[in-house]
Amino acid sequence: MKKNPNPDLLVIGYGNTLRSDDGVGPKVAEAVEALHWSGVRTLVCQQLSPEHADPISKSCTVIFVDAAVDAPEQVQFRKLEPNGSSQLMAHAADPRTMLALARDVFGHSPEAWWLTIPAVQLDFGEKFSPTTEAGFHEALRHIQSLAKQFRQTDDKKREVVANFR
Amino acid sequence: MSKRIVIDPVTRIEGHAKISIFLDDAGNVSDAEFHVVEFRGFEKFCEGRPYTEMPGITQRICGICPVSHTLASAKAGDALMAVNIPPAADKLRRLMNLGQMIQSHALSFFHLSAPDFLLGWDTAPAQRNVFGLIAANKELARAGIRLRQFGQEIIEVLGDKKIHPAWAVPGGVRSALSEEGRAKIRAWLPEAFATTKVAFELWKKTMETHKREIQIFGNFPSLFMGLVAEDGTWEHHGGKLRFTDSSGSIIADQLDAQNYLDYIGESVQGGSYLKSPYYTSLGFPEGIYRVGPLARLNVCEQMGVPKADAEFKKFKKLGHGAVTSSFLYHYARLIEILASLELVERYMDDAELLDGNLRADAGINSLRGVGVSEAPRGTLFHDYTVDRNGLLQKVNLIVATGQNNLAMNQTVAQIARHYVRGNDIPEPMLNRIEHGIRCYDPCLSCSTHAVGQMPLRVQLVAPDGTVLNEIARG
Repeated sequence: MKKNPNPDLLVIGYGNTLRSDDGVGPKVAEAVEALHWSGVRTLVCQQLSPEHADPISKSCTVIFVDAAVDAPEQVQFRKLEPNGSSQLMAHAADPRTMLALARDVFGHSPEAWWLTIPAVQLDFGEKFSPTTEAGFHEALRHIQSLAKQFRQTDDKKREVVANFR
Repeated sequence: MSKRIVIDPVTRIEGHAKISIFLDDAGNVSDAEFHVVEFRGFEKFCEGRPYTEMPGITQRICGICPVSHTLASAKAGDALMAVNIPPAADKLRRLMNLGQMIQSHALSFFHLSAPDFLLGWDTAPAQRNVFGLIAANKELARAGIRLRQFGQEIIEVLGDKKIHPAWAVPGGVRSALSEEGRAKIRAWLPEAFATTKVAFELWKKTMETHKREIQIFGNFPSLFMGLVAEDGTWEHHGGKLRFTDSSGSIIADQLDAQNYLDYIGESVQGGSYLKSPYYTSLGFPEGIYRVGPLARLNVCEQMGVPKADAEFKKFKKLGHGAVTSSFLYHYARLIEILASLELVERYMDDAELLDGNLRADAGINSLRGVGVSEAPRGTLFHDYTVDRNGLLQKVNLIVATGQNNLAMNQTVAQIARHYVRGNDIPEPMLNRIEHGIRCYDPCLSCSTHAVGQMPLRVQLVAPDGTVLNEIARG
């Protein structure tokens, strides 16, 4: 695996911002962007697609922020590994697929985490349900905490990420 | 006793969808339906909003073709204002639409369809995907991503954001092409042309090895519809509508999109929220027509750029009159990528794209406006009715996937007739049916993508609801 030239934390928020709670991922990424944290970049998209593997491969650590309809009613923060055998390569791809693409096509799969926020309301709308609203703030706190510690040395960053939650 | 096979959902297409294949008492395929189970409701959601917000809102319908919606919406706004936009704004909108064609077609060809061509139908689904493509030809996979990035770069250079650029507005566009942006696009063009050349080489081999697929993947007579210029040249954003039939004859030409309700009817089929438009003069379902790359190349007389025209001539020889096989959507897609690159190259030498006169200004001069543009998947209509304050009273969108719905049903039925025998649901048959749908590159983007919503389930169901056979994927 080649040495990563851009030791950044990349926050990718994805989802449909017209679909109520489904838009929480982009809103989290936009909130992070507005805070202008050093060493933290953001990417907002409606759905993951192959070209996103390029910026992912250029990052040290990636956090994918997504809405989840089948998860417990808490924000979850899970370590992700590349998964190159997924057959569900639609217009929208899975984060594990993106990691595998980053590794196989661009030569580097970063350390990655999946921050999922419970979603209960997916009809057309631009407001979050109370559950997702609470999840939005909790997710932001998680990322803020991680980003704050992430601005330390590269070695320390890895240790922090490994011990997070 | 008749039976129904259900494939739910289709892999590698956007959104949540399922396919039902109906068998007769003898176990032969009698019909098929491609269902869309996600209720859109988008048109209702927009009512009461100012029309000026619509290019920004409608582009959020879809993460893959937001540009198509924003451009059609901006054109509907032009019609409400009853203005002709400045020439520079028209060219800039066209340039963005070409970027959209390139990025969308690149995803469809390289990452959704090429695995099937290169690895073969009977390769296990776990390998017959983009990773199988990487294993077989890493450079091709990478080049495909780079080509898609190039299209995205054009969109970003103009709109400042790759997704959802709030850039096209009623009356024109917000900003011109910068010198820096032009230099970026120009520098990337040689690589994009080279990738397209490789794609054509792959496609020519595919046509040699997939003669049966050309014969049975959606090869049937139908009408075709698309925009053309006044002289019949390929169009993607301006021009007027033309219908041709399977003999290649023009049956209606230079139709004004503002009057589309005079010649396009909409039927809603049971089990699906997708509207199925048809050519009114022939009625439903005889008025079935196809849109998208295959249709655009069938309705036009030339591409208007030399390299694409050379391929266009070869393409035309594949049909007797019209080219009727939906498998050849892939070929048409490549020709459109090439034409788009040539037109982008031409625009790089056009000083008008740097012009600052970009927006016509007016109030509401018409209470109804229709915008039409060619999205990668086909002709897209935005029809708005407003009050005197410009607040939307009624919205009607006709999207490409809806217009191709009936053709997709016929395609599935045609393929299934060749492979379905009795109650068995063989994996290779599913792969072929899914590819038949993918020929149209359908986009059902009103769907959410949230985690936990992508299982694949295949069921054989008796009329009384009994599940006779079931296959699960994913």
